Amino acid sequence: MISLRGVSLVYANGTRALDAIDLEIAKGSFVFLVGHSGTGKSSLLRLLYREQLPTRGEVTVDGIRVDRLRRSRVPLLRRNVGVVFQDFKLLNDKTVWENVAFALQVTGARTKDVMRQVPRVLDLVGLSHKSRMFPSELSGGEQQRTAIARALVNNPKILLCDEPTGNLDPANTNEVMELLHRINLKGTTVLIATHNALVVDRMRRRVIRLEDGKIVADEERGYYLAGPPSREAPAPAPAQSA
Amino acid sequence: MQFTAIGTVTVTILLLGGFLFTRDTLSTVGDEVLRKIEISVFLRDSATPADARRLAAALSSDPRVKSVAYIPKALGLREMRERLRGQIDTSLLTSNPLPDALRVRVVDATQVPAVAAKIRKQQMVASVEFAADSVQKLLRISDVLGRIGLAVVLLLAFTAAIIISNTIRLTVFARRREIAIMQLVGASSIYIRLPFIFEGFLDGVLGAALALGFLELARLQLVPKLAAALPFIPMHLGKINQGAFALELLVVGAAVGIVASWLSVGRYLRA
Repeated sequence: MISLRGVSLVYANGTRALDAIDLEIAKGSFVFLVGHSGTGKSSLLRLLYREQLPTRGEVTVDGIRVDRLRRSRVPLLRRNVGVVFQDFKLLNDKTVWENVAFALQVTGARTKDVMRQVPRVLDLVGLSHKSRMFPSELSGGEQQRTAIARALVNNPKILLCDEPTGNLDPANTNEVMELLHRINLKGTTVLIATHNALVVDRMRRRVIRLEDGKIVADEERGYYLAGPPSREAPAPAPAQSA
Repeated sequence: MQFTAIGTVTVTILLLGGFLFTRDTLSTVGDEVLRKIEISVFLRDSATPADARRLAAALSSDPRVKSVAYIPKALGLREMRERLRGQIDTSLLTSNPLPDALRVRVVDATQVPAVAAKIRKQQMVASVEFAADSVQKLLRISDVLGRIGLAVVLLLAFTAAIIISNTIRLTVFARRREIAIMQLVGASSIYIRLPFIFEGFLDGVLGAALALGFLELARLQLVPKLAAALPFIPMHLGKINQGAFALELLVVGAAVGIVASWLSVGRYLRA
């Protein structure tokens, strides 16, 4: 579903954000991307929805060579890749319903489809009863669930989350992670960049650890840090599946 | 913000309209002068009236020649007395010193020197006169005015485009969050651009419409006063009221608005 081969990213100011990354993520996976701030997690996500082009290497998402994608084709890619951010990026002058419907309307969807899809995703994220509220009237968790609903309304095959729980308290964090888990169970590939150790350690899913733009660990059922020394011996890094 | 853009287009179109009107008036003045330029052909004393009429007929058949008038010496003297009345005492003239003459007008003022040279070769012609320098100068002035006009129009349009572009960029900046989300969820470039293009179009058309209003006001109030103060300048009062002229200015306004907003949004989307 996602493939990076020899990908490097050097910004104009000379900062090397990613260095010779090789990575395969299979369809339907649930993957954490962890590491300190500035290790390249967000840069890697930006390559996947073509916000950024690699300096070198191949980026393939759902069979599309993103690094070679023409500018005019980028919107089509983004309808297949939902993105969620730490700061939600909601429009404050629109209601929950309008924020979600907006993502469909701007792609030229028919009103009939909007009327069918928006209630479906609002139901999925548990916000049907708050569809007429504005973002300022919602809790952080609810705002993030609205953002997730917006990211899902186009039925993307991949959901990218950049620090989705960064602004949330533990209760809301649990709510959002539970929601992302359910979304993954429905078949959507979920890739989460985070430095929330509690979430990563509790969910025990595949963990890819970045340091200075390089992958230093890639573990199935991994932990935020390199294994849980106090609880059990570190599991050997499993072979990568395509 | 919006008012600035519309106001700028208004001023630009106003200047453009004023300029076109001035250029039109100057060009009309030039045409009037050029139209009046004629070639005076003075015949030899030996030429008979029949010779003169034959020459007139021959010249008339030249496609470059608009009209040929035969002025017998008696008519020439009468016209001269008329022209100089009150300036010179022509009663002192005891005989007619003037030769028979032809007055030749050409279709295109640029042909005057060539036609004069052809006439000069005729045997019965004593001399040929025309305001050579004046013709050349007027033609040059007319040409230069045309070029300056084009440059001024382009410069004004460019200025308006820059200001509209900056205004649209401010609007784009104010809505950058919305645009970023649109891009994120896969809105096409044209979908994102369209509202701004429409805004640029509206700015342009509204500005041009306002300018047309002011021009109409000037036509009704100012031009008659100018025409009364400067009676020797032929002002074409009807011109700026013509639908084609109004449409032209509206199209210029709209085009400037559309191009400016297209470029400014494009620059933002690429960033």
